[in-house]
Amino acid sequence: MPPARIPTGPVTFSPVEKINAELFTLTYGSIVRQLLIDYEDNVESVNVQLEKMGYNIGVRLIDEFLAKSSCSRCNDFRETADVIAKVGLKMFLGVSASVTNWNAEGTECSLVMEDNPMVDFVELPEQYKNLSYCNMLCGVFRGALEMVNMKVESTCVRDMLRGHDAYEFRLRLLEVLQDEYPFKDDE
Amino acid sequence: MIVCLAIIGPANNPLHISSLFSEEESLKFHYILHCALDVFEERIAVRGKGTASIEPNLGLLYPTEDYQVYGYSTATRVKFLAIVEEMDEKTKIDDVVRDVFKHLHLAYIDAVSNPFHQHGYAIAVPTFDTKIKSLLIDSRK
Repeated sequence: MPPARIPTGPVTFSPVEKINAELFTLTYGSIVRQLLIDYEDNVESVNVQLEKMGYNIGVRLIDEFLAKSSCSRCNDFRETADVIAKVGLKMFLGVSASVTNWNAEGTECSLVMEDNPMVDFVELPEQYKNLSYCNMLCGVFRGALEMVNMKVESTCVRDMLRGHDAYEFRLRLLEVLQDEYPFKDDE
Repeated sequence: MIVCLAIIGPANNPLHISSLFSEEESLKFHYILHCALDVFEERIAVRGKGTASIEPNLGLLYPTEDYQVYGYSTATRVKFLAIVEEMDEKTKIDDVVRDVFKHLHLAYIDAVSNPFHQHGYAIAVPTFDTKIKSLLIDSRK
């Protein structure tokens, strides 16, 4: 069987419409800031909200991704992670990530980014040190993969805003959902 | 040699003041900066509305006995002030100060783009402090 044709990152990145990176960064920053004000500095609720917002984005983004990149079906979770890191992140954020730290069964992996345009200029003050600033990205992974029948859990493991040396997201495959058909049994 | 750099907001509220000296000695810099603000306002008023292109660098504002004060005003009426101590006459202080103001402006823009920075309040970011300190130290060369 011929290997699935996975397009390269730059090939999908070049024809896509782009916006100014600073506009994107400042918009994301003001979203986070406004959430903190609305939830009165409750960092945990803000983390949850960011993840939910990311989930809603991911659910819609996956269609655009599949339409714009001529990506064929992935055979397993490994290919999926590769496609997210090399093609998806490149297409939407302009940076690609590397996939590392696979566990023995091949159901957990880490996406490591050296550079993240969402966090340019950001310095986390002391009182928000538990804020997962990139939690929206975790939600995007969860939402997008749920639409292609993979239930995953994603968390932010390393965060440069908290002093680590890179951004690392841990993706854990919980289950592969079977296609559900909305038919009733007696019809 | 630049001994003190200050950023003053549009309402004359100090956003950032740093020098390489201790707190007690820095107090006299606060006085000098305060007096310099009057000269600043005068210069801006003199420049008037007729100028087509606004040159941000105001140059030497006024000399005191030990120090000279240089000014730079941005389009948002944020003022940068540098207190310079006389070193030797060979170094072109004007060029050094112009360079430092450019870097200070860039550092200021990065600090203000931080979503957690509150406008009108002091810049409370440790990386900004270190950047300014290194600007001060570099200017000594």
